[in-house]
Amino acid sequence: MAEISKSDPLNPNPNPPEIASSVRRTTEPGRKRLFVTLSVFFSFLVGLPFLLKSTEIYRSPLPFSSIESLSLRLRSEPPAPPCRLQAVFLRPGGGGGTADQLARLISDEVDKSIGSIPSRGSCGRNYALSVTVDSGNGACERSGDGESGPCYWPCGGIDVLELSNEDGIVDELLDSALGRRGQCLGTGGKIYTVVVAGVEGEEGLRTVLGKHRHAWLVGKVGESDAVLLITKIFVNFFLNGGREEDMAPGKGEFVPVGLDGSVVLSFSLLNANPNDWVYDWDFQMIDDVLLAPVVEALAPIANITTESQVLYHTPKSSISFWDGNLGGNIFSIKDLPFFVNANEWHLDTSIAAAGRSKILHFVVYIPSRNECPLLLQLPNGHISKTNGFISPMWGGVIVWNPHSCFADSQGKHFVRRPIALEDLQKIFQILVGQLRLLFGFKSSYISDDNVDMIQFLTSEKGFTEWELDALYRYHACYNLASCATTLESLSKLVQSLPRMIVMDEIGKQVKYSLEAAGLAQNNTHLGIYNASAAASLQARSLAEDAFFHPSIMSVSYSSLEHYFSIYMPFFAPVSLHLILALVKELARYRRERAKYSSFVAEHAKAS
Amino acid sequence: MAELRRRFSTFVSVFIIFFFFFFVFFSAIVLPTLASVGDLVELEEEFTEELLLKPLPDRKVLAHFHFEILAPPSPVNGRHHHLFPKAIAQLVHKFQIRELELSFTQGRWNYERWGGSDPLSMANAKPPGVELWATFHRPESEIDHTWKNLTHALSGLFCSSINFLESSTAFSAPHWGFQPNSSVLRYGALPREAVCTENLTPWLKLLPCRDRAGVALLLNRPSIYRGHYHSQKLRLISSKLTGVKLEQTLTIVLHPSVERYGLDSFSDGSTQPSWSLNSLFKQQLMGKCALAKDSRVLFELEHDLASQIDETESDYTWRNAAFELSTMPDRVARVMKSLPNQDSSVLYGFEVSKSSDSMPMDVGIKWKLPLIWSSSHAPVYASRFLMGSGNERGSIAITFQSSHLDEWLSTGSDGCAVHAVVFQVVPWYVKVYYHTLNIFMDGKRQTISDVVKRMKISPSEDKLSPGTMELMLEFPCDMQSATLTLDFDKGFLHVDEYPPDANQGFDIPSALITYPDCYSSRSYQTVDTSHFKSSLLPKFKEGNLVQSYTEVLLVPLTTPDFSMPYNVITFTCTILALYFGSMLNVLRRRVGEEERLSKSKASERRGLIPLLLLKLSSKLRGKRPETMQHSSPLPSSSSFFGPKLFIKVVLVAVLAIFWNYYLKDS
Repeated sequence: MAEISKSDPLNPNPNPPEIASSVRRTTEPGRKRLFVTLSVFFSFLVGLPFLLKSTEIYRSPLPFSSIESLSLRLRSEPPAPPCRLQAVFLRPGGGGGTADQLARLISDEVDKSIGSIPSRGSCGRNYALSVTVDSGNGACERSGDGESGPCYWPCGGIDVLELSNEDGIVDELLDSALGRRGQCLGTGGKIYTVVVAGVEGEEGLRTVLGKHRHAWLVGKVGESDAVLLITKIFVNFFLNGGREEDMAPGKGEFVPVGLDGSVVLSFSLLNANPNDWVYDWDFQMIDDVLLAPVVEALAPIANITTESQVLYHTPKSSISFWDGNLGGNIFSIKDLPFFVNANEWHLDTSIAAAGRSKILHFVVYIPSRNECPLLLQLPNGHISKTNGFISPMWGGVIVWNPHSCFADSQGKHFVRRPIALEDLQKIFQILVGQLRLLFGFKSSYISDDNVDMIQFLTSEKGFTEWELDALYRYHACYNLASCATTLESLSKLVQSLPRMIVMDEIGKQVKYSLEAAGLAQNNTHLGIYNASAAASLQARSLAEDAFFHPSIMSVSYSSLEHYFSIYMPFFAPVSLHLILALVKELARYRRERAKYSSFVAEHAKAS
Repeated sequence: MAELRRRFSTFVSVFIIFFFFFFVFFSAIVLPTLASVGDLVELEEEFTEELLLKPLPDRKVLAHFHFEILAPPSPVNGRHHHLFPKAIAQLVHKFQIRELELSFTQGRWNYERWGGSDPLSMANAKPPGVELWATFHRPESEIDHTWKNLTHALSGLFCSSINFLESSTAFSAPHWGFQPNSSVLRYGALPREAVCTENLTPWLKLLPCRDRAGVALLLNRPSIYRGHYHSQKLRLISSKLTGVKLEQTLTIVLHPSVERYGLDSFSDGSTQPSWSLNSLFKQQLMGKCALAKDSRVLFELEHDLASQIDETESDYTWRNAAFELSTMPDRVARVMKSLPNQDSSVLYGFEVSKSSDSMPMDVGIKWKLPLIWSSSHAPVYASRFLMGSGNERGSIAITFQSSHLDEWLSTGSDGCAVHAVVFQVVPWYVKVYYHTLNIFMDGKRQTISDVVKRMKISPSEDKLSPGTMELMLEFPCDMQSATLTLDFDKGFLHVDEYPPDANQGFDIPSALITYPDCYSSRSYQTVDTSHFKSSLLPKFKEGNLVQSYTEVLLVPLTTPDFSMPYNVITFTCTILALYFGSMLNVLRRRVGEEERLSKSKASERRGLIPLLLLKLSSKLRGKRPETMQHSSPLPSSSSFFGPKLFIKVVLVAVLAIFWNYYLKDS
């Protein structure tokens, strides 16, 4: 301490020993080295953006905000396609409530029922109701503002007595009176009509649900009963397509449509043991006659192709036992999980099996001689009428027993026996029923206790028009939701991996997918069901294409760790040197300048 | 499969839905339309199965399974099928295949012992590993793309790595070397592909009866994979007129097990083992596949053997002086003989439909005389090998040994010549210098233009295409041996391009040598006049070109240390950083100041330890030598040995003790 005061007595600030201990500075400190260090440092700083740019990874810009807004919009207000309901009361004699009163009654009832079933794809509360009271002779009373477009009930178009005809004829009659095909393509959704014809003198009430978009009630019916029935038909069938439990969101999300929007219906005829008998079918004929209408009807929701094959030596893998009372070999529900023999049933022989399309297998199993006839026993002990079962998202199996189980073996001569036409027809009735089940409908409405009052007309398409409407609506909503989820996951993935390569193609697919989704939403709001289903399908498959693009699957993108490990060995030691040098030089310069300034001050004082 | 079943069972257990009273839907609507369509259209898809057995001279047995399925032309090919495998039909439909051949082979065909020119060996001797070639009904520009997709489809179908043939470095487009006039042909080979049951099972799945019935029932996996040679082949021919024909063949060379028929088999001194189907395959042949139009076992005796039996003057009944068949044949056929020393093989036919579960068919042979014979000879035997050592360069040599040229060429005069076409595909990393082609004949070097009559060479492009060589050579008939050599350099691969086991070396696929002058064909005629209908025999009748595949070559390439890129990066970066740091320090150096410092240092006298400590502390605190220099050493040393330091030392010691006793034990 003594030495410090001795060496530098003039220092105004004796505390920092460095300054205090140094010799006095008489010249201004040089800036050369500081300048060199600073210039190196700044050139590094300037070079850094170039380095980052040169090691940048190409990422096609994805419309993150549009994706987010799409999914937000779909979540906050699920699309509810509009529907138009029309109740027509044919009262040749007049009397009863006015159209407005009836409309109020019905809409109250419908609101009450809808509240309990919030479901995807139904119109929800987005429906318009109109009631027409046709008192004959062209005198009509319409509810509300009396809307009478070409799509609505033509006054006096149909006589009450005509409704007592045979169901099929009435159905076509109503269709021609109401539909006037092609003219009702206006916006606002399809019009569903229930015609109530109060025919005096006829016993009982007859309720028929046609295969088009209308139902009719003929017979003596009170107004309140009619209102209840109309509500039931509207809500359960026209709005929900007759589906029940599985329409709630989150439940029953099984939609058997492949990610690329296609479904392959693969039909296989399995001859369990060709040494006993070999059955064959002419599938081309079945395809043309029986399946083509179904495929056509389902075209907006999926691109459906059919294939068939005949397989041999395909025993089932469960065990059946002989029951003398029932007269056949019995397999029960417990055996069903083991019925499909994955080792021997080579069903997945389609090229489509490798892709992302969905294959629905329909298997016709012909038992071998020693297990013929093979019967499915229900838990209640009865024999199943269809002898078949489905597995959702996989397909269906039916067991078809040849008529002559105990006839002689075909012997030495191999004979290919065709399945008789009647049998084929029955088999395909069941198979189409299974297809209906796979798509979420009831296979038939006959056994349903709720609808025992109502008769249903069937369509050769396998699906009635009102069912198809519901299916289109459901699929449009489901596809939109699924598309939004996929796009959302994609954007999350892309954002979470900053060094992932995003190809231009992905960007394009996302863009087109969003456009298609917008179109689907638009169509949904306008009530064009099939177009919205088709557009939403496209949106979904484009989104899936983008998500499963091969470049996304590749793991060759360089991760951040990889990046650091390459550049660290150079930049870590260099930046250490540089920063140390800079700090030292700066510190030295400040110190020396302080010394110099103290000298200058001292000098000034002295002078 | 377990997975499928599990999924299936969960689904079923959740959603089993039964149908009652179904007949409302679809009622009465479709019946009239159905009835109008009428009866089933006549089915024409045909399936035949055959098995050919042949004793080989080296005590082995050749078994050749031949399955053929024919789908007549139909608009629904690829969608609806009765017998034809749907997967194959869809492939043909999707890729517009005209012809395709895919073979999986394990082992190498022994041309000298097992047959070097007979139609059966020519069609079924294949190079080891996978070989695929295909032609398409497509315009030239689309073929490469179609081929790539096809390789992927086949790879999925047959559980193998055929998709490696997708890369343009793996396949080639030969013009005339592989097949004459084939501009739309693509050829690829994977010599290292291991062939096992996982390839056989999907192959069997294509058969209507799989291995559940018929001759395929004999395919007991342990028996057939114990064999010396195993080649499964799939060949497709499709045209608009004839429809699609699928031929599946499996050729196996087996060694009959030691156990013989009777005790006398040794005692009679026969050199050949006696065998039967049952002893070969450990499996019974019980009835034909119910769907097969024809099901037959054929038993062939070679020409040389048959002529030896002729000499013993026995007739060709199933029991004669030379041997005894275990089952009576249904038919006997012999090659039509026009010239005295021509081929005269004998064929016995057995109908499988006569056997049943209770009466299995067990075709076999018991030798009575010791017979030694040789199989059909190739005109020239070719083999290929590598020369040179080291990891830099080497050369490929193909040698031709003339064996029985005179048998093949009737005109034994001076002007006689035999042609040989060499087709060889070499991967790009073996850089062949085609100008170094040298041809030696009987030890003498020849001018190339004298020997090579036609040549098409497409040199390899790095990482783009393999090198293909098609050469037509002409040898004089009196040539004994010829050698063809080519030099090559070994290339370097990118670190990503090495296969997993790079040190094993790289395979050069087999070269194919074809002799365009030599055809092998056999047409059999039944001894009695009955008709012998078979799908296999017409194939022998068609003229097959005599050809042979050479060995696969194994080229060791320099394999890098695969961590090398990172090592290089770290080394270079460290050196660069060192250089940079020292440069920066030199730039910042103040020489005058340092000199002053050292002078003043020298003027002060200190003890050694305080000096060292001072240096250390100055280092630690950065460069402040001038400040330290002016402060007295005494206070600094006193501050070093002061209570602060003492406390630090104690603290460290306490921590060490704590660590040692408490933390380490736990």
